[in-house]
Amino acid sequence: MNQGALAQTWTLSLDLIRFRLLASQRDWTSRTLYVIAALASLVLVLGIFGGTFIGVRALVAAKATGLLGSVAAWAFLVYLFTDLFIAFGQALNDMYLSADMPILLAMPVRAGVLVVAKFVLGVVQNEVYVAVFLLPFVLGYLLALAAPLWAYVVCIAGLALFPAVLYAVLATITIITLRLIPPHFAKEMLWVIGAAVPTAFWLFNFARFAHIEGDINTLHLPTAPEWLPSSWMGSLLSAAGAGEAQTAASWLGFIALITLVACPIGLAIVAGGFVEGWSQATSGRRVAAWSRGAPPSLSPVGAVVWKDVSGVMRSPQLWFNHIASLGFIGYLLVGHQVQSPLLPLTIQLAMLQIGFVAVLDSLNPGMTAISLEHRSIWLLRTAPLTPRQIFAAKIIGAYAQTGAITTVAAVLLGIGYRFSIGGVLALVFFALLMSAAAICYGVEFDARFPSFDWENPNAINRGVRMIMPFLNGLLVLILCGAFLGATRLALRGVWDGGAAVLVGLFWCALVVAWIFVRTSHEAVRNIGALEV
Amino acid sequence: MPVPPLVVVDHLTKRFGGTTAVDDISFAVAPGEIFGFLGPNGAGKTTTIKILTGLLRPTTGRATICGFDITSHPVEAKRLFGYVPDEPALYPKLTALEFLSFVGDMYAMNPARKQARIRELLSLFELRADAGALLESYSHGMRQKVALCAALLHDPKIYFLDEPTVGLDPKSARMLKDIVRALTRAGGAVMMSTHIMEIAESLCDRVAIIDHGRIAAIGTVSELRELRGRDTLEEVFLHLTGGFEDHRIAEIFREPARA
Repeated sequence: MNQGALAQTWTLSLDLIRFRLLASQRDWTSRTLYVIAALASLVLVLGIFGGTFIGVRALVAAKATGLLGSVAAWAFLVYLFTDLFIAFGQALNDMYLSADMPILLAMPVRAGVLVVAKFVLGVVQNEVYVAVFLLPFVLGYLLALAAPLWAYVVCIAGLALFPAVLYAVLATITIITLRLIPPHFAKEMLWVIGAAVPTAFWLFNFARFAHIEGDINTLHLPTAPEWLPSSWMGSLLSAAGAGEAQTAASWLGFIALITLVACPIGLAIVAGGFVEGWSQATSGRRVAAWSRGAPPSLSPVGAVVWKDVSGVMRSPQLWFNHIASLGFIGYLLVGHQVQSPLLPLTIQLAMLQIGFVAVLDSLNPGMTAISLEHRSIWLLRTAPLTPRQIFAAKIIGAYAQTGAITTVAAVLLGIGYRFSIGGVLALVFFALLMSAAAICYGVEFDARFPSFDWENPNAINRGVRMIMPFLNGLLVLILCGAFLGATRLALRGVWDGGAAVLVGLFWCALVVAWIFVRTSHEAVRNIGALEV
Repeated sequence: MPVPPLVVVDHLTKRFGGTTAVDDISFAVAPGEIFGFLGPNGAGKTTTIKILTGLLRPTTGRATICGFDITSHPVEAKRLFGYVPDEPALYPKLTALEFLSFVGDMYAMNPARKQARIRELLSLFELRADAGALLESYSHGMRQKVALCAALLHDPKIYFLDEPTVGLDPKSARMLKDIVRALTRAGGAVMMSTHIMEIAESLCDRVAIIDHGRIAAIGTVSELRELRGRDTLEEVFLHLTGGFEDHRIAEIFREPARA
């Protein structure tokens, strides 16, 4: 049967969306965990809504019209650059690394139809992020300004179109890059750009924000780049919030024009090159980087660690959270310059800050340690290794990464805060402790709920999976923070405050040792019971 | 004195929820024997091999490898066999050389012996030129060869080969048959599943035909032929597992009506 291009696009797009929905439903076997994670997401939505409402009401009460006018564009810009982190990888995943591509390409489907259907799938996935992060912000903003009903309709319509513009640009850049630059290099380069550009952007703009001074009535944020879609959305929301119907309608019309006319034209132009780029990206022999002949002979545990670390070194998409963690140190250093009068900097406060960085950095390596085996898990399970050896290798492999990164991060923070060598060592030790706790929880979680059926490692932690280990890590940090605070109060002045740090660290070490014993027992049991 | 079998499967059952994948099967594989495991798709062949290799746990029954129970003494049992899965999923970010070295380390091989053996096997399977390339860029057949090298690397006594010839070129498939014969001549045992009746007929000393999780027949190829009164193993197989009737095929693939 000969279907028109439009009908084919419609059918394929709907099918791909349906399959993705089914896959995400079937990923989860534990209903309880799903409900907990969904509740946590709801708390996040309510938190954004409540925070925005209170913040905007405060600005209205302070008659801070300058800030009210500029805050929307910046909020969307925050989202845009955060989404850049995710969407670049998504464009690569959906178009070039997706397992269904060979089947789809072999079907009598036009290349343009394929590209558009995959694009629609990517947009729909981004709509979920918009619904969680931006919708509560928009609703909170408009409600705080007592905006009329039409303002909600116009802003929600603009919000629905917003991710399409962003994703169309990223998909186009991805397709062009993979045509112009050798595909294997291009893919890795795009992964790194997807992580490094937003991080650098954040640091730069945070530094600009941090030094704003003056009266709140006359203050306004620096002008956001007007050519970015986030600024268009910001202008739409500001106009709607201010009751300027004509301006709001103009912005919505402009966004609709770009989404419905410019994006399809852009995609149609690059779609022709997609098949060629895909073909080049998936063929040809590829020599390994960092390879110097046969590797050294190692113990079984050492060999698994070596294998895991080599895999990470050769997979730039696994560097994302490490780049973000190191970037976070930049925010802390910039933020400290303006916030220290409000919250005096102590060694304990710095320990909590680096502890948070360590928990963030350890999330992915810990909770993907076993799932990263992917379909090759048969090899570890048929090799003469005990579950304890597998657990040990996974802990060491994950800790080798996060230990190195958090040590560097702690040293940078300590030097940035001009701490003594003792202070820097305390930061390093605490970071390593928090990293160890987060890794233990992550590996235990992954051993209990492994996910071997993925197309790209970044997809392992997509969605609700990352919430539980993150909350565990956060709770440990809070508990250790309480110990550090209590010892600071109890031992004030002893050895110039050094005794409080040492005793606090000792208690934290005990907590982490307890976590290690408890989680290792569970993880070893689950690894032993793993059926593949 | 009779030689004890290397693999013993004793009333093995595996259930997945309400589905019984393997239903109370028993057999043994002796030293020097090539044991073929035949059956239609979903009959329980891969599940049985996965239980024997420790990838799945039996619901009831037991399986031993050289006397070691795979459930209670998995590490001792795993040292004694090599395994090639039905789908050769290997670590994509390692080279063939790195992968085989990793496998050798898993089995605590002597470093010099490991290197020599890797060189030997890569040459045998004509993979030396691509040994430095990442496995993610290998074809299915090349990955299958690397999986075979990994199974042969530590000189095990027993080999579990799940559809080992899938993806191999005729030359490599022939070489595999010769290797299997050589291994069993040296006193090892091979248990292989296959859908290719010619391979089972020409290579296997004994075959078991499994259907719906139960063993429908077991014995040498000639015993099965005689017992069922059929000329070929394929006819025995179709007789036991139910073939597709000719008129149904003709009905489905009838010539389209001309306008």
